[in-house]
Amino acid sequence: MRKLLLLLFAALPLWAQTQITTTMDPTKATSVLRIAIPQPEFTGTTFETINSPLFKPLTRDIAMSGIFAIAPLPPNVPITPEVLQRINAQLLLKLAIRMEGEDFVVEARVTDTTGQTQFGKRYRGPLAALTRLAHMLASDLVRSLNGRPGPFLSQIGFASDRDGHWEIWLMDWDGGNQRAITHHGALSILPSWSPDNERMVYTSFARGTSDMYVINRRGGGRIRVATGLQLNTSATFSPVSNDIAFVGSINGNPDIYVIKDDGSNRRRLTNSSTIESTPEWSPNGRQISFTSGRTGSPQIYVMDAEGANVRRISFDGDWNDDATFSPDGEQIAYTSRVNGRFQIRIANLSNGESRILAGEGSNEQPTWSPDGKWLAFQSNRSGKWQIYRIRLDGTDIEQLTFTGENKDPDWSKKSD
Amino acid sequence: MKKTMKAFAWTVCVVVLGMFAMACPKKPKPVTPEKIVTDTAPPVVATPPPPPVETKVENSDFVQEKPVQAETLPADIEELNRYAQSHGYIQDAYFEYNEAGLSADAQSALTSSANWLKGDGKAYSLLVEGHCDERGTEQYNLALGDKRANTAKEYLATLGVDGSRIRTVSYGEERPFDPGHDDSAWSKNRRAHLVIVGK
Repeated sequence: MRKLLLLLFAALPLWAQTQITTTMDPTKATSVLRIAIPQPEFTGTTFETINSPLFKPLTRDIAMSGIFAIAPLPPNVPITPEVLQRINAQLLLKLAIRMEGEDFVVEARVTDTTGQTQFGKRYRGPLAALTRLAHMLASDLVRSLNGRPGPFLSQIGFASDRDGHWEIWLMDWDGGNQRAITHHGALSILPSWSPDNERMVYTSFARGTSDMYVINRRGGGRIRVATGLQLNTSATFSPVSNDIAFVGSINGNPDIYVIKDDGSNRRRLTNSSTIESTPEWSPNGRQISFTSGRTGSPQIYVMDAEGANVRRISFDGDWNDDATFSPDGEQIAYTSRVNGRFQIRIANLSNGESRILAGEGSNEQPTWSPDGKWLAFQSNRSGKWQIYRIRLDGTDIEQLTFTGENKDPDWSKKSD
Repeated sequence: MKKTMKAFAWTVCVVVLGMFAMACPKKPKPVTPEKIVTDTAPPVVATPPPPPVETKVENSDFVQEKPVQAETLPADIEELNRYAQSHGYIQDAYFEYNEAGLSADAQSALTSSANWLKGDGKAYSLLVEGHCDERGTEQYNLALGDKRANTAKEYLATLGVDGSRIRTVSYGEERPFDPGHDDSAWSKNRRAHLVIVGK
């Protein structure tokens, strides 16, 4: 595998050079590889059976990877080196699928223009697992090229009222496989992933007050974390320990607290009579961002994980909230009100510069993909709250939810 | 025969009339002195007397109704809330945008509520819900709603309502009372909503 990787990297500059003579943008030629993906060969199954659970999500993932561009093949033509050259395909992904009992066995092989194998892997799974298999294959393909997996196996947690109550739901990165993991029958909101992608912490009003709950990703093992405080909102797992940061309140004074996931060792990080809200950890767990109304309008601040060295981060906008660190810790995305409308703002932490990802309607609660290349957020641009995904440069925006109203997206921290 | 009958009838009539005439003067007697009093009174008293008399009547009406109401407070808790709200026994406190401080109106609403909670409503517990309009962000508004609910609770406590009878919860912008998207809707949605929750 490592050998294949090296081969691919070594070959990159060559491809880039050939691309300069074509119409392809030379700056992109160094990062985007054109790949041809013919229809899979299959025995014991039909194309209809595998198309929507496997082939469609696989080709979509590859097209969205930012690393590959799909070179369209002419229909009903045998694939020869000449055909591949004509469509400027630098790689060819061939899929062979056969049945073994109930299992689909999927063999994937990527060859370069010389016919040499650059990637080869076999997967096995029943029909119900084919979409996951497709995301896994796409993720492995990206990893084989740049050493880090694609975001295709990651999950987005969110709140949805589609069944009459707000409950916690999960979906794949492309909006597929949406399923509820809570059934409180009561307002349940603001889910947040654990660093190992196994659990979520969230707020539910199931007992008439707002409480903190932890649940596993399959909807089991639910526990209520007794904090001894009110509110218990905006709860978020530390990336490096069993701590959970959250907003607790005593007598109407909301502050930032940290507590262990078993409800022990509660510590108070802020101590002000104003409103403090919305804590979020830096990726190394050493800092916590939060929102404070201490100057009158809600603004973003960052402090040490012990509560010291508070400094203000946001200066533009008269209402800022929902801050969240990028996976590399260098940027912060937050909700920022510009001309009376909420927009997603991305700020560079080292130089303080920021930019707006402009969009229609109100746009709130950004959350980073684990590879740091995408944001998911909620927008009411359609007239209802729905969850969208957008590339960091503002392109490839896609609506992920359509049923009922959906909000509070939180993208898992690990890619797989 | 006819003549005697006629004569008898006449005498009966006269006697009856005479009795009536004798009886009549007795009744008018108390009436006439009153008339004399009222006739002389108007210029002296002018209009002032009627108002005190009228307000006394209203007061007595109110005093009479009170025990009746206390007896018929709805047993169903949701009905009781509708009843108490519509009669102004408990009143919500409304807030300014992104504020948790109590305006004069909010204070007077809570004062009315405290009076009832210390009087006829003294058996009941109270839940104060903090609500916000949709113009903020969800997470900050949950904290703002908490501050509003507790500000209202504290004020009720300073007015003598035992704080242990009052719970609070914040719904932030999750449960607007008016689903509209204008000033009128927003002003209704920024409130500490008082809910009677039982005895």
